[in-house]
Amino acid sequence: MCAEQIQEITPKQPAGARHLLWRGVLPEAVGLCFVAIIFTGFAAAYLVARNAWEEQTTAARQAEAARLATLTADAIGSGMQSGTATALLRQVAQRPGVHAIQWTGPAGEVRFVWPSPGHAVPTLTAVEDLTVAAANVRTPEGVLEGTLRIELAGAWDLASDSHLFWNWAIAACTTLIVFVLLYRRLRGHLRPLAALHQNLEHYAAGIERQLEALTLGDALGATAQSWNMLIREFAAARQQLETVRRANQTGDILTRFEGAIFRRVVDRLPFGVLCVNSDQTVTYANGSALALLGARSEAVLGQPLGEAVGAPAVAAAVSGAQARSSAGLAIDHTLTTGESETTLRFRVLPLSDEAAGGETLVSIEDIGRLKESERARDNFLYHVTHELRTPLTSIHAYAETLTRPGFDDEQTRKECYNVIMSETRRLSSLVEDILSLSQLEVGTARLDVGDVDLVRLIRQMVQDNLGAADEKRIDLTLTLPPKAPKVRGDKQRLSVLLMNLIGNAIKYTPENGTVQVTLTVSEQRVAISVRDTGIGIAPEDQAHIFEKFYRASDDKVQAVAGTGLGLAIAREVARLHGGDIHLQSEPGQGSTFTVELPVSNTESAEAFAR
Amino acid sequence: MSRILVAEDDPHILRLIAMWLRRQGHEVLEARHGAAALALIEEQAVDVLVSDVNMPGVDGLELIEAILPQSRVRRGVIVLTNRWDHGEIRERLARWGVQVMPKPFSPTRLSELVEALVRAEGEPAESGENPGLAAGATEVQFVPPPANLPPA
Repeated sequence: MCAEQIQEITPKQPAGARHLLWRGVLPEAVGLCFVAIIFTGFAAAYLVARNAWEEQTTAARQAEAARLATLTADAIGSGMQSGTATALLRQVAQRPGVHAIQWTGPAGEVRFVWPSPGHAVPTLTAVEDLTVAAANVRTPEGVLEGTLRIELAGAWDLASDSHLFWNWAIAACTTLIVFVLLYRRLRGHLRPLAALHQNLEHYAAGIERQLEALTLGDALGATAQSWNMLIREFAAARQQLETVRRANQTGDILTRFEGAIFRRVVDRLPFGVLCVNSDQTVTYANGSALALLGARSEAVLGQPLGEAVGAPAVAAAVSGAQARSSAGLAIDHTLTTGESETTLRFRVLPLSDEAAGGETLVSIEDIGRLKESERARDNFLYHVTHELRTPLTSIHAYAETLTRPGFDDEQTRKECYNVIMSETRRLSSLVEDILSLSQLEVGTARLDVGDVDLVRLIRQMVQDNLGAADEKRIDLTLTLPPKAPKVRGDKQRLSVLLMNLIGNAIKYTPENGTVQVTLTVSEQRVAISVRDTGIGIAPEDQAHIFEKFYRASDDKVQAVAGTGLGLAIAREVARLHGGDIHLQSEPGQGSTFTVELPVSNTESAEAFAR
Repeated sequence: MSRILVAEDDPHILRLIAMWLRRQGHEVLEARHGAAALALIEEQAVDVLVSDVNMPGVDGLELIEAILPQSRVRRGVIVLTNRWDHGEIRERLARWGVQVMPKPFSPTRLSELVEALVRAEGEPAESGENPGLAAGATEVQFVPPPANLPPA
């Protein structure tokens, strides 16, 4: 019954539910057995009671028969002489229920028999039984005068038997009725419990995980209704959880999290964030804000803004912004902590929505680097314009000269043209250098990478510089190893590098000096060194010599034309090839520039080629 | 005929200025750097000094500073510079009241300016305090320098 109920309320038959059938049959079978046992019990009790009643009746009859026989035998014994014995026996025979009497003498002779021979023995009815009793007959002197045997016929009391039966039958029926009523009553409570039990078992076993399928029929009563309510609430909670989980998987972090995680996100922002309430008190400061202000959280949180950031101007800006609810104010404030100095830019961003409750957001950025890079850019531009103006000045002045009357003689014109031409070339190469250096530095330079035969390239470069060396009677020599590996690189840029180094060496070496170019090869690297006997470089200049536009303040250096870009380009080219450039120099003794480059098969060369 | 000293490290520019001024009939002394210019001025006073600022060794500013109290320049100083946008240089030149010609310059303008100085009425500035002002020339040209220029 319970099983049927469960099958009704589980629309999807769960797997392995066949055993439920047993549960359906079993209670009925058990009930029938129980009824049978009750009936059998009552029948047995009835039979036992009836048996006892029969035994009791039989014993009573036997006792009566024995008493009659004894009394009669005693009476015969005492009345033997008087001859009244026979008459007595006849009287006894007339008593109701006496079926037969026989007196047998000591020798076995029959002294009396009733009914007399020849008389019919009375027949017994269906409900009569015979009870036989015997007694010895003795005279008062104790002489045995034979044995008296009396047979009594007794009828069974059918009414009393029937009474007994019905008593037991009524008891059995009452018990059964009580049992059935009790069972029906209990079943009302047990049904939902059984269904619930089964649902829980299925849920635990994973047969049924759908909560909706675990509800019970409302007909199962209050227990089922309470259970269903529980299930519905649980299902709603689970659905809500599922929605949240799905949102977690698909939504961005801001829709997913509020609170702790969001706080961690804000904490890790690279710029500072302060929240200031309408009383100008700092209510929140993220990690970057504390780091930028160089303060502990106690010194910032809960403090007035002006004190927390050490800049009253910021507090004034915030209160101004709050009053006008305007945004975008930026205040730069230089913070000095110990020896270091940082310039912080505070931006005031009022949170105008109501949820923020009048809070104002203040962002903090370290603009020290920005300023540094602005300075570097300005410096670069300053130098570039200065360097460009030098050839431009010549071009402009000579070109103007060409247009003036009085300068039209052949020699002057020729000179003007020559200067314009050479200065134009200088200007153009300067522009090339600036562009090339800027590309090398930014990393946007396009390198035409291939295997470069360094020996050939160095030979070519030395060859190209022989003219310039001869002019100053400088001895330009080249030392090469017997065998040299190729390097991976951009031949054109490597030639610029070598040209700059050899050109510099000749430029800064006085007449009659020497410039030695040497290629040495080790296992993984090749080294090209350019040694001169020139003016040398002062130690204080050596650290800056590779910076762009840097030129030593030495008169001898200033006397030589140069832009201060050659070595910067040379170092960038060397580094782009996975190598580097070193300088050894003593003022007055000369300088040695050494370029080290990896050979073809090294990883750095491959990396650089990419 | 006036004596004019030209101090300029760029040989092309030096040669050009000398050529122009000679064609105007002036005596031109040439110096490739400040030290040479100082030596020449020591030797003989000049009417006008035309000087570059950026020169090896003693630069133009040091040169002017050195000659100012000596009144060895009678008519005035003209400074040629491609650093005219440099705040400090500009300030010092303005204080001394010298004529400034930004590079690239017009040689025509330069020769006109030299003529103006040479032909200026009145006595040459004996004190030498304000040689440029004494010349009464008007060719002073400054361009506002960009902000955030680095120190020299």
